[in-house]
Amino acid sequence: MRNDVRTLRQREGLSQAALGTALGVSRQTVNSIETGRYDPSLPLAIAIARHFGTTVEEIFHVDDN
Amino acid sequence: MSTTTSRTARPVRPVAMAASFLVASAVLATGTVLLVRYGPGNMGTGFAVGGGIVLLAMAVATWRSLRHPGASTTVERALTNTGDERDRRIAERAGAVLGLVSLPLTGVAAVLVALGVRADAVLGILVWTLLAVVVVAYAVLVRRG
Repeated sequence: MRNDVRTLRQREGLSQAALGTALGVSRQTVNSIETGRYDPSLPLAIAIARHFGTTVEEIFHVDDN
Repeated sequence: MSTTTSRTARPVRPVAMAASFLVASAVLATGTVLLVRYGPGNMGTGFAVGGGIVLLAMAVATWRSLRHPGASTTVERALTNTGDERDRRIAERAGAVLGLVSLPLTGVAAVLVALGVRADAVLGILVWTLLAVVVVAYAVLVRRG
């Protein structure tokens, strides 16, 4: 699953650690989500969307291939 | 939907960690005394050293998690039970790999004993193999997830 978390985070000028603190998860978890190695749970995806003031489907995109 | 506590990292709870240390120390001391007195060879010494290393790792992980909460590693968060949803999923999957591998390995060990291989040697190799499996599985999952 692709996502725009890194773009949104960098647009806000946040570090991975700062975003992790805001979401209540570790820096490594934010990094894994950004690189597509970890798909967050639905509650965490919703928390990410709320943090950036958007919706889950605007941030996360299913890979078609 | 109230699943906030399951996804977020838990704070270090010093009282709970101290209680865990006390229980683990009591188990280590009791096991060491019993194995030194009744166990074969130097099993008691090995148990004491192995258990001591685990206790030391827990102490270091707790200290680092308390001192630098944002800089703790996945392993340290697992040892101090302060992980978030990714940390818990890695631990669950490593446990699942261990469970899956343990069945055929135990079967192989039983066959070896039935064929006349020394049971204590087979048991020792089995324990170390299972330990290696869970450590490798955990390391691979941390890198991939």
